[in-house]
Amino acid sequence: MMGEIGALAVAMALVVSAYGTIMPLLGVGLRRDELVQSGLRAVYANALLLGVASAAFLHALLSRDFGNAYVANYTSRDLGFWYTLSAFWAGQAGSLLFWAVVLAGFSAVAVWRLGRLRELIPYAAATLMGTSAFFMMLLTFVSSPFARLPVARADGAGLNPLLQNAGMFFHPPTQYLGYVGTAVPFAFAVAALATRRLDDEWIRATRRWTLLAWFFLSWGLIFGMMWAYVELGWGGFWAWDPVENAALMPWLTATAFLHSVMIQEKRDLLKVWNVVLIILTFALALFGTFLTRSGVLSSVHAFATSSLGPLFFIFILLILALSFGLLFTRLGALRNQGELDSLISRESGFLFNNLIFIGAAFAVFIGTVFPILSEAVSGMKISVGPPFFNQINVPIGLALLLLMGICPLLAWRKASPRNLRRSFFVPGLLAAAGAGLLVTAGFRQSTALAAFTLCIFVVAAIVQDVHRGAKVRRGHGEAYTVALGRLVARHPRRYGGYVVHLGIILLFAGMAGSAFGTERDAVLARGESVTVSQYTLRYDGGGTYTQGERLITEATLTVLVGGRTLTVMRPQRNVHTRRDEQAMTEVAIRTTLREDLYVILSGMGDDGRVNLRIIINPLMMWMWIGAGVLTMGTVIAFWPQAAAAAQTRPRLLAEAA
Amino acid sequence: MSRTNRKILAAVVVFILAGAYLAYSGARSSMAYYLTVGELLDRAGTVRDSDVRLSGTVAAGTIARDPVGGTLAFLVTDGARRLPVRYRGVVPDAFKDGAEVVVEGRFDGQAFTAARLFAKCPSKFETADEG
Repeated sequence: MMGEIGALAVAMALVVSAYGTIMPLLGVGLRRDELVQSGLRAVYANALLLGVASAAFLHALLSRDFGNAYVANYTSRDLGFWYTLSAFWAGQAGSLLFWAVVLAGFSAVAVWRLGRLRELIPYAAATLMGTSAFFMMLLTFVSSPFARLPVARADGAGLNPLLQNAGMFFHPPTQYLGYVGTAVPFAFAVAALATRRLDDEWIRATRRWTLLAWFFLSWGLIFGMMWAYVELGWGGFWAWDPVENAALMPWLTATAFLHSVMIQEKRDLLKVWNVVLIILTFALALFGTFLTRSGVLSSVHAFATSSLGPLFFIFILLILALSFGLLFTRLGALRNQGELDSLISRESGFLFNNLIFIGAAFAVFIGTVFPILSEAVSGMKISVGPPFFNQINVPIGLALLLLMGICPLLAWRKASPRNLRRSFFVPGLLAAAGAGLLVTAGFRQSTALAAFTLCIFVVAAIVQDVHRGAKVRRGHGEAYTVALGRLVARHPRRYGGYVVHLGIILLFAGMAGSAFGTERDAVLARGESVTVSQYTLRYDGGGTYTQGERLITEATLTVLVGGRTLTVMRPQRNVHTRRDEQAMTEVAIRTTLREDLYVILSGMGDDGRVNLRIIINPLMMWMWIGAGVLTMGTVIAFWPQAAAAAQTRPRLLAEAA
Repeated sequence: MSRTNRKILAAVVVFILAGAYLAYSGARSSMAYYLTVGELLDRAGTVRDSDVRLSGTVAAGTIARDPVGGTLAFLVTDGARRLPVRYRGVVPDAFKDGAEVVVEGRFDGQAFTAARLFAKCPSKFETADEG
């Protein structure tokens, strides 16, 4: 019964989405406002219908309705509540429904909050509903979450044990929220093009949407890295796998967009560029969904080939053709009002920041689709591996770090020598001192040395700028901490941005730390030890026992430092006895701020000897701390800006008049 | 074009050239043939001793594993033809009979020696009959 309601809601949402695409455009074309309003109401109706569909789908999952093909494929009676919930996005039909319901919700909120932009909203709504219609078409005709089995099964196949990890609960939905979030600024960019209202109105209106999408894209990546590190058991967090790349690309372009819009707001520059960036970001978000769902590229993420591929491909091409076509007809109206005044200025700094991000995205794109390209050109499939990505992205990362330190401190228009001296003397000095210290301490790895030096530079530059700001306010008689708080509250975007930068610095430091990792394989009999770095690991015994449906093989290792027992680690290699003998490696990790000791049990022989891989990952913890700092910064930047609100109000009044 | 714009353009061009060079050298150092089992066997002469990324599935019942020594041998197949693979190192969880694998390494004309092994689970995210 609930299943029928869900299927009906999906079918109705397809009709409503199509209606919501056509009506606002028709209304504008015929100058009949009631048609526009009816179209906007369709956006709300669409959200309601997808809410119903999702509720019905959840009900099917939680009530273990094994007559539903999806439920039977991805859950089972013994699957716990949270994993049953996460089965929502474990498979194709479910994740498409998730996409659609998030899009419907975002669209409704956008129309509700931004309905005041009366000229833009019809086109934005039509764009959002057009995208929604595509997904509803897939859900109705290609991959339905409500498809029934001819005969209900007694029990489901269950969720693959490899997916039964906290990462499953956080990573996919976050990634999807990020992907979908880019649809809103994209829709308003299209609306701005259509209406020729190409000032920064659409950018200001969707600023927080952009930030929100960027935030979720960031956390999608972070959760993905955590999951890979903790669960996949090879000691790393990033492998340049096509699906990882697909998630990284929209993040890169979204980050570029987040920066370059400031240039348009301040200087009325880069208008075409900004529109291009958001179109690319949305297209790459679709491409990410497409890659994970098409099987067009081989990936360790393993998503099977499905008929969705061509449809997604056509849709992406359609989006690109329509939006670039529209952009092309508007080029005349997009002429920049300002001009770059100097090579050494904030604007040109941002320009290079953008080039770097786009360059990185382009390199990742080429590397990802290299097999397809080479096959088209030479008939041979040739792929490029991690060295390709690293070789390009490491210098790119370093250049970004440098700009991150320089840009926010450069003056607009033209930086004077005095401005340069004032801003960079102290940070430059500190960075040089830090580099000297690292070299005397025996640091020789040049990339990491450069990374740490630049990290010091950026942190010093930020701290100096914040300190100066607070000092000025203290001059007005405020206590230092009060001054600091008010400073941040007055300019949340600027200082939130700084905090995000600090978070990124920590992430970079953590990544640079992995350059000093040590890796060692050891075969130990009971009582034997192996020493890696300062740690001595003594194998005290191990064995095999059954726990529920898992056959657990565990080694007990006592970790000693300088003869003193530090901790006991128990890496496992388990086999799920019911689910086709699925192996599951449970690594043991001991985390400190300094480094992670990471132990993998590769195997255990019948004689009790174990094969271990021991990895030391320096500074890993700082990556996760950096992620936390990044979150704090985003929250600050998201905070309502009192000054900004005061600025936009007259503009709105003028519009209403 | 103003002098400033010329300077900026020059900087941008230098920047792009540097990026292109990085990409070119990176690609040269890490390019590998991406082949299926059949393609590899057909081109055994040309690809011998060059880097190859080979995809296929693990032929059922052919896995020989020494958990202590850390060595692994199996036959990889494209459904029609088979090829022996040798590997030493950590074996991914998804590796088992019938799993899709990608191995990176070299083919000496007889067997494939893999430096890296990736496995996809046949039933991981999607079943192939769906969608």
